[in-house]
Amino acid sequence: MSAISAEGDGEMDHPAARVDSPVSLATLIAAVAAGDDAAFRQIYDRRASRLYGIALRITRQPPLASDAVQEAFLELWRNASRFDERRGNPDIWLASLVRYRALDMTRRWGREVSDEDVPEAVDDTPDALARMESSSDAAALRVCLDKLEPERRTLLSLAFLDGLSHSELAARLHVPIGSVKSWIRRSLQTLRVCLEGEA
Amino acid sequence: MSGARPETPEELRLLAGEYVLGVLGGAEMRAVGQQATIDPQLARAIAGWERRLGPMLTAVAEVAPPDALWARIQHAKSQVPDGRQGANPAARLASVPSAAARPPAEPAWPRPAAPRRVWPWKAATGVSLAVAVALAAFVGVPSLARRPTVPMPGGRDVALVAVLAQPESRGEPRQDTTAQMASDSGTARLAEPSDTPDPARAAARPAGFLAATWPDGTVLLTAFAPVQVPGGKALELWLQPPDATAPRSLGLLPAAGRQVTLPGVPAPGTVLSVSLEPPGGSPTGAPTGRVVYAGTLRPIRQ
Repeated sequence: MSAISAEGDGEMDHPAARVDSPVSLATLIAAVAAGDDAAFRQIYDRRASRLYGIALRITRQPPLASDAVQEAFLELWRNASRFDERRGNPDIWLASLVRYRALDMTRRWGREVSDEDVPEAVDDTPDALARMESSSDAAALRVCLDKLEPERRTLLSLAFLDGLSHSELAARLHVPIGSVKSWIRRSLQTLRVCLEGEA
Repeated sequence: MSGARPETPEELRLLAGEYVLGVLGGAEMRAVGQQATIDPQLARAIAGWERRLGPMLTAVAEVAPPDALWARIQHAKSQVPDGRQGANPAARLASVPSAAARPPAEPAWPRPAAPRRVWPWKAATGVSLAVAVALAAFVGVPSLARRPTVPMPGGRDVALVAVLAQPESRGEPRQDTTAQMASDSGTARLAEPSDTPDPARAAARPAGFLAATWPDGTVLLTAFAPVQVPGGKALELWLQPPDATAPRSLGLLPAAGRQVTLPGVPAPGTVLSVSLEPPGGSPTGAPTGRVVYAGTLRPIRQ
């Protein structure tokens, strides 16, 4: 069967959630669903920097990044009870809350920003993927990414981490948009087959 | 893809992959996000890609958010009207099902139902509004024009609009609340780049932002012309319902404008204002700098 049968199964053991406290992120989210303010604060303390980093990388504008994180946390507060059914991995769920908001804001408002506003910590070097952590999930993805040609890998990184659209990628790489689209699709197919061993 | 749902499972999966990667245009992204709320197969495909690609995010450097962000979130959270903040555990529990019953569009994608055109501008709610709107149409408000035009059920839902203008000019009478804010602001005036078109200059009151609301609580603010914010300052947006005694913060406002999602539709007569604040926003939860733009939300008659 396809990937669909494998999706939505149980919670994945995310290393980041394991090491930083005995209480798992998933447990904290469940507590938030029951209205626990302290758990909400703990999630913020543990993950705000990570989520803000993700949002800032996409929006390049601190006010928009703050807005994306704020809206994501409000969504967490309102809909924490939906976590279990929807996503296995709490980190991926939280990241999704932030990413789609940041992407939406960027599509609406653009990225133009003066140099002084770009925090130094924002890193868009093409091989930023080299910094991926070494958990087993990440290691498997890393192996599969390495099977792509370097340019395709950069394309995926610029899309997923930096939030560039088809047309922005085409402009950045000076290639026709049609090429970008088909490269992306082929890369996605390659990745999925590699990760799931299905043809 | 444009509009039609992909025919084959593989096409659907690729579309989901493009959505999760974030390569689609804004309207397409929203369309897919919205479709996923009613299409379990698409939702599963999206979740699959989030799971596959998610580990890439560990490559992103963590960045400490501004110190004021937690206070902003706390404040915004206290405005969430689901009863959780109450000390009564029963009230909390009761709130959970209602949260769960919300359309699943929200978590992944913020504004599903936000909709349709607010641009039957014919019913002006005031002369200066009509003028400003005509100017906005002339200059073009691209991010508004790009909104998908999804018809709302019961199209007579009230949409509210406001022109946020510099409060020191007295072009038209305004509500007490606005006048009060304006009186604090003295001769507030934002420096404006001399080489940018300023359609508002022709209007009775120099306008900074156009605000429009949708029945799902979405409020969209768009700058009429580029607003130059003085160095070391940030714009912060405030909302004050007609029956409230103080404005509450809706967060920082980028110079181009932004979108805010409120828990509900603001009441007509609600005042939106913009103040100059330190970079992280007001440290006190109330405006500390001068109010540079303010306006009152009024319904558009259809």
